[in-house]
Amino acid sequence: MTAALAALLIPLFTALGLLLLRSRSGPLVILTSLATLAAACWALVEVTTSGPQSLHLGDWPEPLAIRFQLQPITALLLVFTALIHLLVAVYAARSRHCRTRDTDYWPLSCLLQGSLNALWLSSDLFNWYVTLELLGLAAVALVALSGRKAYGPALNYLLLSLGASLVYLLGVALIYGRYGVLDITLLATQTEADQSTRVAFWLMTLGLMLKAALWPLHLWLPKAHASAPTAVSALLSALVVKGPLFILWRLWSEAAPVELAIETGPLLAIAGVAALLLGGWSALRTPWLKSLVAYSTVAQLGYALMALGLLMHWQLPALDAALWLFVLAHGLAKASMFLAAGELQATLGSKRVSALRGTTETMPVAMFAFAVAGGSLIGLPPSGGFLAKWMLLEPMLGQSEHWPWVAGILLGTLISAGYVFRVVALAFDRADPVPPDFKPDRFAHWLAMLPALVVWGLALVSQPLIAWLTGATP
Amino acid sequence: MIHEWLLDGSLALLILTLAVAVLYVRSLYASIVLFIAFGLLLALIWARLGAPDLALAEAAIGAGLTGTLLLAALGRTPVSQRAEPAFSGARQYVRSGPAVVLSLLIFWILLQAVLPLPEQSSAVVRAAEQHLDAAGVAHPVTAVLLNFRAWDTLLELLVLLLAFMAVRQLLPSLPRAPEAWPLLLGWSCLLAPLIILIGGYLLWRGSSDPGGAFQAGALLAAGAILLRLTDLLPAMGWHHAWVRLLVLGGCAFFLLVGLFTHWLGAGFLAYPEGWAGPLIILIEVAATLSIAITLTLLVIGETREVRG
Repeated sequence: MTAALAALLIPLFTALGLLLLRSRSGPLVILTSLATLAAACWALVEVTTSGPQSLHLGDWPEPLAIRFQLQPITALLLVFTALIHLLVAVYAARSRHCRTRDTDYWPLSCLLQGSLNALWLSSDLFNWYVTLELLGLAAVALVALSGRKAYGPALNYLLLSLGASLVYLLGVALIYGRYGVLDITLLATQTEADQSTRVAFWLMTLGLMLKAALWPLHLWLPKAHASAPTAVSALLSALVVKGPLFILWRLWSEAAPVELAIETGPLLAIAGVAALLLGGWSALRTPWLKSLVAYSTVAQLGYALMALGLLMHWQLPALDAALWLFVLAHGLAKASMFLAAGELQATLGSKRVSALRGTTETMPVAMFAFAVAGGSLIGLPPSGGFLAKWMLLEPMLGQSEHWPWVAGILLGTLISAGYVFRVVALAFDRADPVPPDFKPDRFAHWLAMLPALVVWGLALVSQPLIAWLTGATP
Repeated sequence: MIHEWLLDGSLALLILTLAVAVLYVRSLYASIVLFIAFGLLLALIWARLGAPDLALAEAAIGAGLTGTLLLAALGRTPVSQRAEPAFSGARQYVRSGPAVVLSLLIFWILLQAVLPLPEQSSAVVRAAEQHLDAAGVAHPVTAVLLNFRAWDTLLELLVLLLAFMAVRQLLPSLPRAPEAWPLLLGWSCLLAPLIILIGGYLLWRGSSDPGGAFQAGALLAAGAILLRLTDLLPAMGWHHAWVRLLVLGGCAFFLLVGLFTHWLGAGFLAYPEGWAGPLIILIEVAATLSIAITLTLLVIGETREVRG
């Protein structure tokens, strides 16, 4: 547990130190990110060798204390967060086009990492509310770094995020009033499918869906993610929306009464399919590059929501692995895509998709990163996205009554292929390329490529990875 | 019995009336003033419900501080940009019809959920009462906030810090500096020592009775803002090292306590035997100062350095 605590405290102390010294030192943040990554890896090794651990904060007995729970999946998420944070920090420190270098990006991103780690570790309904508040505020402050044009989207994000927190809190209050406990493991033994519990779970789900931008509560996301600075967009899409999703998963797979989960599952799965289709459709239509990537986040979260809904409905723990593979693959691919998109649009001096004409010639590495990450989003074998989709499809293919879901997934795949190839086809139109305003920044392009390569590399270790994930999720 | 019902009934009616008035009054300024009144009434209702801690917090933060922040925001908005709610007579009532129906529906669903809730105290409350002796403070609310669930409070301090950081990212707008009239000057000189006294008292009382860091911090902030507005206090901003030290001190000290308790083997945020009382007081003092300065900075803003 010491390692996990270190992964939690290092970013927080770094942020406080930076603020105290009024320092905006990128190298320092990179250094402490490396330390956090090491701590997270150590936690992962610890949890794999000696099993799940839990820590009662303040050493108080069972129902009184807030409990930290270090499961394999938690440790994996700690590592994933540290990895993405490190990558984006290197990008923010090194890229010529990154506008966040001399801003409060550094302490804010550290606070963001700290609050995410607090969220992964916690297993207490009210503590999750506080971490959600932290996460939301940090994200809003980061979006506002873009300057005046981002104030509108940032304010919308703030108001919706606060509203969502209150709806979630109302659900938590009802649960506390009904069962008198807040710890999710204690709750799991007590819940019954009565009216109060049902309303409480629906309220919490509603709040979390709004926070995670799950369809139909996603409307704030494209503007907020598209108007943020590039490094921030990558953090938001890859990490922040996964926080509420994690809570949603733990609520429904651990604490919710089975009847209620079976009853609510199809609704979530249908919302997931709708997200896939409508989010994808918007990504196909938008004229702006970053909006395209942001809408693709809405669409891709549909897969995760669908996996969650179906695992609730069929009570199939095998889908847990699919859900978390989606989260990992999407996080990596989206970090890559946003960094590449940010570099492309800054170098070309235009935010339009149409400005990408001929970029395979002018900026081949960045475009390749975009296309490779897009391949994983579509689910082309042998990428991480393909693995996740295969895990999701596998239990459905055998039974013909599940084929409507299969049709939804395939249609979603077709649309994702549509919006990725829309960009790629334009990039191969080399007859009349749009000339870049600046000399391309090779280092940043290769940095964008890195997570895309990792996500394809997941396929190489697919067998042990799937076995580990299936064993890791309870 | 009957006069208690009368009091509660009129409070309930009054708060509903005030809520409607806040939403439908014509000028933004009047709306803010009504909102402050709404907060004070809400504090009264918390007190009637037997939750004096919540009442204090609501009065200090919900009514006082939020009201001041809203007024400060209004003062910084140019008149041309103020979207005063346009009153369009009957059409407005027609438009709010669906909202009323929706609200009633939600109210009905919530009522169905709340009514069957059990009356008896929960397992957590019983456990808290059982361990109160070991908590280092006599007041159960403070024991929960700073010992049993100290991690929540630590994160709440970070929330406040982040709120300040978010406001810091916005470009500065010129605050108007109104002349302080003589009565305000004299009155502030009189109030300031009293506010410090009451703030300290609230903080100290927190260990045995309702009160605590958040209420004391909000009160101290109110005093500092008053003095700053009348120019009796020199300007303070993020570029002052002492301001940064005090703002960050609350979180930093709390985190350090967590770190050292873990290091010394007691467990993360587990105060060593016999140290709980003094440590809680120290944390509360650091938190109070941090809250006071952060809230002051939020309201009077920093006029000098924002970026760069």
